[in-house]
Amino acid sequence: MAPRISRSLIFILLWLIQIAACAQYPLNQQNDRFDKQAGYRFEHLQRGPRNTDELFVCLAFSGGGTRAAALAYGVMEELRKTPIKVQGVEKSLLDEVDVISSVSGGSFTAAYYGLFREKLFADFRTKFLERNIQGALIAKLLNPVNLVRVASPWFGRIDLAAELYDREVFAEATFARLEENGRPFVILNATNLGPGRRFDFTQEYFDALGSRLDLYPVSRAVAASSAFPFLLTPLSLKNYPQAKGYDPPWWYKGALAEKDWFTRRYDAAKNLDFYKDKQNAYVHLMDGGLADNIGVRAILDAYAHGFIHQKILDGDIKRLVLIVVNARTEAEDRLSRKTSPPWIITVAEKTATVAMDNYSFESIAQLRGELYRRVQIQEDTDACNRRLDQYCPGAPKFIESKKVDIYVVEVNFKAAEFIGEDPRYYLNLPTTFSLGKEQIEKLMAIGPKLLQASPQYQCLLKVLQAEAEGRPRPKDCPPGAGIMGN
Amino acid sequence: MSEYLVVLFPRRRRVLLNGEPKGYTNERLELEGGTYTVSLLQPPLDFTPMEQVIDLRNTAPMSPMEVIFEEV
Repeated sequence: MAPRISRSLIFILLWLIQIAACAQYPLNQQNDRFDKQAGYRFEHLQRGPRNTDELFVCLAFSGGGTRAAALAYGVMEELRKTPIKVQGVEKSLLDEVDVISSVSGGSFTAAYYGLFREKLFADFRTKFLERNIQGALIAKLLNPVNLVRVASPWFGRIDLAAELYDREVFAEATFARLEENGRPFVILNATNLGPGRRFDFTQEYFDALGSRLDLYPVSRAVAASSAFPFLLTPLSLKNYPQAKGYDPPWWYKGALAEKDWFTRRYDAAKNLDFYKDKQNAYVHLMDGGLADNIGVRAILDAYAHGFIHQKILDGDIKRLVLIVVNARTEAEDRLSRKTSPPWIITVAEKTATVAMDNYSFESIAQLRGELYRRVQIQEDTDACNRRLDQYCPGAPKFIESKKVDIYVVEVNFKAAEFIGEDPRYYLNLPTTFSLGKEQIEKLMAIGPKLLQASPQYQCLLKVLQAEAEGRPRPKDCPPGAGIMGN
Repeated sequence: MSEYLVVLFPRRRRVLLNGEPKGYTNERLELEGGTYTVSLLQPPLDFTPMEQVIDLRNTAPMSPMEVIFEEV
């Protein structure tokens, strides 16, 4: 009897070892031939019948677990209900969304809309928002087979999470489906732990990896974007030799001049060089919130030298709208009321969040500042040319840039007090993938209210309406009011 | 952080920066500072020089760098 038991035990042990040894995260696939016209890149996406370049709308969804996903969902619903008329065609503001850049919890809403469109409003609540995703992850982890699988050094808790998202939320879709659907261009942001830099799931980044994004599951990108440190493990990608004929982006050429070492362009080029160095054979990704918890940095890059820059230079964009959905929380400051200094856990928590919170604030301030400066320069040039006309008729005029009417709208719980709601309720919500139904309802309801209460958003609606009716621009919404308010 | 460039040519033509079409001649182009190779889209090949390498810095909106291409 004893030898039979030991034989069974040995058999079970060998079976478990085999499971652990076979457990390996799915690798991204190598690209054989570089093709700038193919893959998931903005320039390659169809615009769709109701979308124009004239009105160019970008959304940024912050991190913050289900709290962020629900707030973003509420804003999407409001955009869908908002009728506008552009080039004589009636549509919703959601029809005009061209780009969604998202981080962590916000990436679930962004990716789901990118893949399934109208279905977002039919079943996203039951499929994701109202589900206890955290509980489902723990249950999956506690499955004995999975406990053995995660013992493998090549398979982690993040891979289990990606499997769950793949099967139960994203229907095993790859980026090829996002590509087929056309705009909006969904930029799922993660953080590359090696260099500590942002990593976007776009073909431009995958070009640098010598890899094909179209074959990669969207669920894994969302998992990387929301891989909360310590609770989940990093998600890994292989960095292959670059495909035959690889040509770096246009701004890279000449960007690495020594005297420019302090500039953003140089810094972006150095970031690209990380992937060109094939000693860095693997890329290990975690929550996008570590590098940018708002999702605006990808939009800033597109404005500085990417597809938004191109569209502005070509005169395609008449009106640029950025809606930042910021689900940032802020615990009430009780420290400053106490005589004794805080304990080590509070100090650790502050150490992890203070720099990120300040960076998030600065990211939005920088976005606002750069775009406002553009409007000011346009206005200055116009004013100078008017003076020249008046006092020196016939003198050569100052050469102008392409004109763009710009709007920056921020949805932020801090503004709840201005609409008669208690911001503390929202600012104290936890970052988790399991919120109560009432919490979800309140988050979905506050998004539209905060959007409507934004003076910048109101200016956008007024200007669009005036234009649709052939009226002049409303006097209470001069250029710049869409950024700094009126 | 932006710098300003105007590519002057007697006619409206696509400007090439590092080989890619970026805006048009006789308009102010807002760009990140640094080195670029500037040319015009062809055909027709009716301009000279063929290309110019510029170091774009220390410009201002009312005082952009001017790069001139002559018609031939």
